[in-house]
Amino acid sequence: MAYVEFSTISKHFGNSVAVADLDLQIEQGEFFSLLGPSGCGKSTTLRMLAGFVKPTTGTIHVNGRDVTALPPEARDIGIVFQNYAIFPHMTVFDNIAFGLVERKLPRAEIKQKVDAALAEVGMTGFEDRYERELSGGQKQRVALARVLVIEPEILLLDEPLSALDKKMREEMKFWIKNIQRSVGITTIYVTHDQSEALTMSDRIAVMDQGRVLQIGTPVEIYEQPASRFIAEFIGESNLLNGTVKEVDGAVSSIRIGTATVTGRLTQNSSVSKDQDVALLVRPEMIRLHALDADEQPKLTGTVAETIYQGSVVRYRIQIADQDLMVEVANRPDLPRLDMAEEVAVFWDADSGVVMA
Amino acid sequence: MERKIPLPMLVLAILGFCYLLFPILVVVLAGLTTGEFLTFPPKGLSLRWVISFLNSEKYLSAFFFSFKLALMTMVVSTILGTAAALFLARSRFIGRAALRAFFLSPVVLPGVVVGFALYAFFITSGLGISRTIWGLWIGHILYSTPYVIGTVGASLATFDVSLEEAARSLGASPMRAFRKITFPNIAQGIQAGSIFAFIVSFGQFEVSLFLSAPNSEPLPIAMYNSLRYKFEPDAAAAGIFAITLVIASVLLTNRLVNIRRLLERQDG
Ligand SMILES: Nc1ncnc2c1ncn2[C@@H]1O[C@H](COP(=O)(O)OP(=O)(O)OP(=O)(O)O)[C@@H](O)[C@H]1O
Ligand SMILES: [Mg+2]
Repeated sequence: MAYVEFSTISKHFGNSVAVADLDLQIEQGEFFSLLGPSGCGKSTTLRMLAGFVKPTTGTIHVNGRDVTALPPEARDIGIVFQNYAIFPHMTVFDNIAFGLVERKLPRAEIKQKVDAALAEVGMTGFEDRYERELSGGQKQRVALARVLVIEPEILLLDEPLSALDKKMREEMKFWIKNIQRSVGITTIYVTHDQSEALTMSDRIAVMDQGRVLQIGTPVEIYEQPASRFIAEFIGESNLLNGTVKEVDGAVSSIRIGTATVTGRLTQNSSVSKDQDVALLVRPEMIRLHALDADEQPKLTGTVAETIYQGSVVRYRIQIADQDLMVEVANRPDLPRLDMAEEVAVFWDADSGVVMA
Repeated sequence: MERKIPLPMLVLAILGFCYLLFPILVVVLAGLTTGEFLTFPPKGLSLRWVISFLNSEKYLSAFFFSFKLALMTMVVSTILGTAAALFLARSRFIGRAALRAFFLSPVVLPGVVVGFALYAFFITSGLGISRTIWGLWIGHILYSTPYVIGTVGASLATFDVSLEEAARSLGASPMRAFRKITFPNIAQGIQAGSIFAFIVSFGQFEVSLFLSAPNSEPLPIAMYNSLRYKFEPDAAAAGIFAITLVIASVLLTNRLVNIRRLLERQDG
């Protein structure tokens, strides 16, 4: 049995279904993300594990123990809220000491542990501050220290970065991941930001409308999305419409306009000849160069738009009646293309994914 | 002065303020008159009627009766009102809005109706509490509790429930989480509510009119009864003491809250 196990968990609020038939297995020490659009049931899932929401059906096991009916205080789970929930009438010290005081530890030990926790999150010297005297990032650190100091079995984070500005978000992303790795705590992270999930997670569960659509490593989710929805939700994607010309095992040839290209099928998916499909190609996987007279590339297009973004240059390429976004690193050895120029379009056979 | 209040607003505010303060001024000055009768403006100033009030068995006992009744009412209303506000804020069920309106209804219903309804109920139910301090106490609690529900409800509306959830998952039982987290954060609302309850009970007239016993009258009833027969300024002098008491109770509780704040910050 996995360390954390959701078995056919569902939650109904009146007539609306927030989470439906959820099965999840999370391993010890894993950084696991729940990723999905707003309202898809991520927080509800997390709150069921924390004990704030009672599941309508199903069971939750942690470390082999059925916790479904346990109140939050009996679960040994630490949670960091989106708004941090720092107790406003207590100092930073008392906030972090709260869980230790509840566990009736001796005063000296509390002091020592709180000091260590403050040092770990880089907040030494802030013990006498109140919530209103802290910045967003500092609140975040205090909230994390308050949870880590009780050494819970599981750490839950509900969109902990969404209240921070962009620069702070980038910084805290790595900081949280580093702390998690050094403590080695099993972590479940809720976010609607795919870049957070991709950067930090060992595995990701993509959710929509109360259901899990796909579970996998960031590489699997990004490179072998199980559906168009996931492909479009995670990262940027080109979905080219075409028809299947031939199927050969996991590879199939797809006709796009007059050209024929190859694409790879994801696991557990199958297509048949003459089926209408979409071919997913990520913008950064595509290579372009100006068309030579004696060349016979499989796919050609014309440059319809150029967007200069500093580190990368993006081109909108028109292929027959479809648009293709291409992202090219801004390097001197890669030629700049002009508007309306005819270009050859390439990608590795592995980079095109066929979506039914 | 950096902040400029537009002149028309300032004038309006001053007018409003005068309007609110004028009755107090009338009572205070009328109570300090030298004349035989309740007049405004007063005929000269003296402490004659204040001394008369202090020597009046009738007014003094009414004053202390009202004080005792207001304290008793405050205690029960604060507890009931806080509990009701918590229930209304925390539970989700159909008819919650209706229940809230019902709880608050004694404030919107005419006091005469509430007083009469209770009087009729006490008489016909044979509980033996009509025109006793117990019946009067029940009436005052009924009338004061909505103010507590209102103020505590307002402070709960701004209280972030995730604070309590954070405390729970850090190991606090529901009771401990309430005592250590929720209570300190809504204490201001409870405080304000209890002052309201005290003041409302102290000044209550209509309900008291139906429910008070002839030999133990609250101050407003005693003043009314006395003014019905003779127009003497000691009623106004009693009013001065009532106003003083209310102002003192507000100031005192403000002071207590601040002291408590200070203590909280000191113990680590
Ligand atoms: N206490 C509640 N009562 C009624 N409906 C609720 C409650 N909590 C959540 N829901 C509903 O359940 C669904 C899932 O909500 P949830 O908060 O889990 O979404 P989420 O994925 O966390 O979204 P977000 O990214 O916006 O936080 C939503 O449709 C929401 O309206
Ligand atoms: Mg959420």
